[in-house]
Amino acid sequence: MLLRYITRRTLIGFVQLFCLVIAVFFLIRLLPADPVSRLVGLNSSPEAYEQAARQLGLHRSLFDQLGIYLGLNPEIAQGLLQGSLGTSWATGSSVGSEITTFLPVTLQLITLAFILAFVISIPVGMLGALNPGKAADKGIFVYSLFAGSQPEFWWGLLFVYVFYFQLGWAPAPLGQLSPMTFPPEPVTGFMLIDTLIAGEPAKFFEALHHLMMPVITLAFILSGPIIKMVRQNMVRALQSDFVLYANLIGLPGKRVARYALRAAMGPSMTLIGILYGFMLSGAVLVESVFSLGGIGQYAIRSVLAFDYPAIQGVVLVITAISLIVYLALDLIHAAIDPRIAY
Amino acid sequence: MAAATQELMPEQATYIPPAHRADWLMRIGVSIVTLVIFLAIFGPYIGPYDPTRTTIRIAVPPPGFTEMPRLFWAWIDGTLDHPPHWMGTDANGYDIFSRVIAAPRTDLKIALLANILSLIAGIFFGLVAGYWRNWSTELLIRVSDVLQSFPVFIMAMVLVALAGRSATNIIIALAFVYTPIYLRLTRAEVLSQTSRGFVEAARAMGNSELSIAMRHVLPNSLTPALIQSSVTIGFAILLTAGLSFVGAGVRPPTPEWGLMISTGANQIVLGEWWPSVFPGLAISLTVFGFAVLGNALERRYERG
Repeated sequence: MLLRYITRRTLIGFVQLFCLVIAVFFLIRLLPADPVSRLVGLNSSPEAYEQAARQLGLHRSLFDQLGIYLGLNPEIAQGLLQGSLGTSWATGSSVGSEITTFLPVTLQLITLAFILAFVISIPVGMLGALNPGKAADKGIFVYSLFAGSQPEFWWGLLFVYVFYFQLGWAPAPLGQLSPMTFPPEPVTGFMLIDTLIAGEPAKFFEALHHLMMPVITLAFILSGPIIKMVRQNMVRALQSDFVLYANLIGLPGKRVARYALRAAMGPSMTLIGILYGFMLSGAVLVESVFSLGGIGQYAIRSVLAFDYPAIQGVVLVITAISLIVYLALDLIHAAIDPRIAY
Repeated sequence: MAAATQELMPEQATYIPPAHRADWLMRIGVSIVTLVIFLAIFGPYIGPYDPTRTTIRIAVPPPGFTEMPRLFWAWIDGTLDHPPHWMGTDANGYDIFSRVIAAPRTDLKIALLANILSLIAGIFFGLVAGYWRNWSTELLIRVSDVLQSFPVFIMAMVLVALAGRSATNIIIALAFVYTPIYLRLTRAEVLSQTSRGFVEAARAMGNSELSIAMRHVLPNSLTPALIQSSVTIGFAILLTAGLSFVGAGVRPPTPEWGLMISTGANQIVLGEWWPSVFPGLAISLTVFGFAVLGNALERRYERG
């Protein structure tokens, strides 16, 4: 049963990704941008322009280009079917390998931010749900509305001003390590893991120190919707029949709250998944404030350079990860809440 | 517990305030939104300086709180050689106060127009997809699903950067990104409305399907999309500012909050906080205002 569900979801996911690839491919090319002149400069000779267009494969028809991108003509160039995301027009290296260096930075950042946001939000949301209508509940409600509607890049800058410039607690917002530190051998791409593998605890703590401000900034923004959701689901769980029953048979309040929390976490998983998928690209502004060099910054660079294969690759990878996260969280949902079966 | 109490003591058990009474939070939301609309109309004219022209005074910090009254009276008396820079000037010499209050013209215009466009498109397609259910409208929903699975910020950035950095293109890009949301909301509401008695009654009286859809189902299905739009306007302002921040938004010297924050971002590590802090404060309050308003409308709608 479970296996069939996973297979079905995966198949739907592939169809969705295929449609997405086609849609993005044509969407980019329908827009009135000229990537060739961006590459060779506006004052280049017609011959140089022609040659550059030929090198990028733009002299072929749109459908031929799509075929090559999908990997239907492997004799001309490797495509998606061969597991290649193409070659970046701006740097000339493979998009796939570029994304594998940038993606872990973002994943590390948002995963830590989610964990922190969750650790804060669950007790706060429960506090609100257990005291409905009281002052604490109202305060929590206003906070969650506020945090969820804030310009995160501005808060990032504000934190830089206060904690770096004024107090000196945080390092300069110049990347994952300070510019003078030699980065460890990239094994997994995750800085925190790589420093440990290299056996350099000093660098591990340095990386953690550099991650502190961006993670706090993102966790602050994320805590808004997460608190709201925990509170809402908790209120709903507290009103359900099994909680009424648990209260009637005289179970201690703390234990009932624990049962209710478990039931409330299930539906929360779906929203967490959506938020996580959203954050993969939503972290771009925070990444750029702290110059972390994540997938978002790679996207900015590619977009501003009109680097079509890179743009397509980023969109494809981000969407694919979101779909995987949705599936994984739906499965976790089923595991947490025994009432659900697929 | 609450469900049980309600069953035992129906009606008068809990006091529900009448729907027309606004709570204080909603008042805050309405005040902020009103102020922003006022500034969008008059902002560019009431600032002491031209928001798109530099002054010769570069990176002047804002006056301290204690100094403000004295400066104000000196300004009224005409003993100052130039109007005070209430929020200082930035690295190019722009008066920040004039630009902060002129920016709603740009930000709100983009957010509002993008919202109206996506509302119209979303409601239209939502009505069609919800009322006439066949393979073509099914396809429409699938297409909208694919659009909704796009990473929003990157898509908006791609559309604006490749189509050209103008306010019009930002409006179109945002409308494109937000249409699927309204489509879903409207379609869901249409689906629930069409199963109700009044639709059958209208049909029994001999109305055509088109007239039932337009005159009976549509007016009853607008509310969720309209409520959502208050929240979406706020998020559209955030997105517009974010686009400017990464260099894919409106061009300088257009007064726009995100662009102003971005201009000041390089100086903030050097301690010049004012070029970024004031426009950011404006965004922070504005988006909060729209979120509060949207939330209040939502609660009011749920209460009926």
